[in-house]
Amino acid sequence: MKIIDILTKIDRRVIYLILFAVVTLPIIFPSAKSIRVMPPVEKLYDAIDNIPEDKALIIDFDYDPQTLPEIEPMAFAILRHAFRKRIKILALSLYVQPLGLAQNALISVSEEFNSVAVTSEDSIIYGRDYVFLGWQPPPLIPILGMGESIVNVYKTDYYGNQTDTLPLMKEVKNYADVGLLVSLSSGDPPKWWIEYAQNRFGLKVGAGITAVSASEFYPYLQTGQFSGLMVGMKGAAEYEEQVENKLNIKVRRKASESMSSLTYAHLVIIIFILIGNTGYFISRRKTKSSPTTPTGRPR
Amino acid sequence: MNISTDPWVWISALCTIAIFSFLWRDNPFYKIAEHVFVGVANGWAVTFYWHNVLMPTLFDPLFRQGQLLFIIPFIIGMLYLTRFIPRVSWLVRIPIGISMGYYVGASIPAVSQALIIKQIQGTFLTPQNFQAWHAGNLGVVWSIILFIGVICTLSYFYFSREHKGILGTTSRIGIVFVMIGFGAAFGYTVMARISLLIGRIQYLLGPWLGIVD
Repeated sequence: MKIIDILTKIDRRVIYLILFAVVTLPIIFPSAKSIRVMPPVEKLYDAIDNIPEDKALIIDFDYDPQTLPEIEPMAFAILRHAFRKRIKILALSLYVQPLGLAQNALISVSEEFNSVAVTSEDSIIYGRDYVFLGWQPPPLIPILGMGESIVNVYKTDYYGNQTDTLPLMKEVKNYADVGLLVSLSSGDPPKWWIEYAQNRFGLKVGAGITAVSASEFYPYLQTGQFSGLMVGMKGAAEYEEQVENKLNIKVRRKASESMSSLTYAHLVIIIFILIGNTGYFISRRKTKSSPTTPTGRPR
Repeated sequence: MNISTDPWVWISALCTIAIFSFLWRDNPFYKIAEHVFVGVANGWAVTFYWHNVLMPTLFDPLFRQGQLLFIIPFIIGMLYLTRFIPRVSWLVRIPIGISMGYYVGASIPAVSQALIIKQIQGTFLTPQNFQAWHAGNLGVVWSIILFIGVICTLSYFYFSREHKGILGTTSRIGIVFVMIGFGAAFGYTVMARISLLIGRIQYLLGPWLGIVD
């Protein structure tokens, strides 16, 4: 068997095994990789950084366990940024599945800050610094309703507290008191926020999305409908880089740690694509040059 | 190495391995994990919707607090179930019509403004759009490429005339743009899938086996 025949007939399980190895080894033996921050992520960072003191940031948690590795590091990085800058946060979800993940992110990051806080002023306190509004179906109702009154849409928060009794909700009444909304999503929600909340109420929208939906969402960045955009694990790593460099927050960077695995896996896939295509064109040329039967098949 | 003693971590890790075993070939472990996932996901969703949607927003106000106005959404919702009774199944059109009317009415102006008009504006050759690329003087070049790409791709999907002459040329350029778009989408898809693989391997090596932090 010639080498080209061997290369074009590699068992798919061998490919999986090689991929498994190139993904696993860099996780066990990590190496430092520099991360270049691209303009879409830089824009999102600046948009959050420039939220005025009297305005809040809404974070829409719309990712589920399937897309956790891509989106969760984005949520952690944005929360660290906002809590460090003392930006008021309203968290919510348009779907049911992300509620537990959103709660986990909010509690984990607020505990990070509270573990080193000395006074009440340094602490991140629920109701004063952030509120978890929870979930209100169907998605169109909260998106449109919050433009008029947030406490009318979410009469109680995720924990069952009356929202109108929370100090933060006395300051943030509707979209007029919101500086930016960031939709962390594995689906269509960032588009809904543009269609309904931005179109009707002029709300600024940023997004953190899965890589698979990147080509669908980039046009909204170019038109200025998104104030910034994070795409996949790479986008999350870029945001983590900014949070560490600009805010001096040194914590575990889950997305950045994965960049070596991601790079080597991409290289392996590129090599396999090249091998497959080279083999295909060589075998096609051979088939064309060999004499054929009346049915068109090689003898 | 510090293997977890938490049974939930073990269940999660073994389910992950069972699902990955499909890469070798279809097998009973994969089937068990798949069925458990579907069953658990559905069971969780039904109970969640019951306790967080139906009870607090409909049944409690109507039956416990006696707010009689809620009888209207209750009846409209119940009409969905007429689908199972052939003699009156036509009644299902009422709730479907109400839902469709509401969503279409709300979405047509929003979608046409945000997704069509704004996107068309984004292709105009204006100084504002040149700057949107954050590429300095190259912004003009990118805007021109975008403009050509949009026109040529649209001409590829114009089927009322044979693709000959100018239309033939523009549609051939259009297909190049379409292919570049597909290539970019495929590349991003690879990145997304590899990211998910990384996430699971991090879980197996971290919380389960304790090889990494």
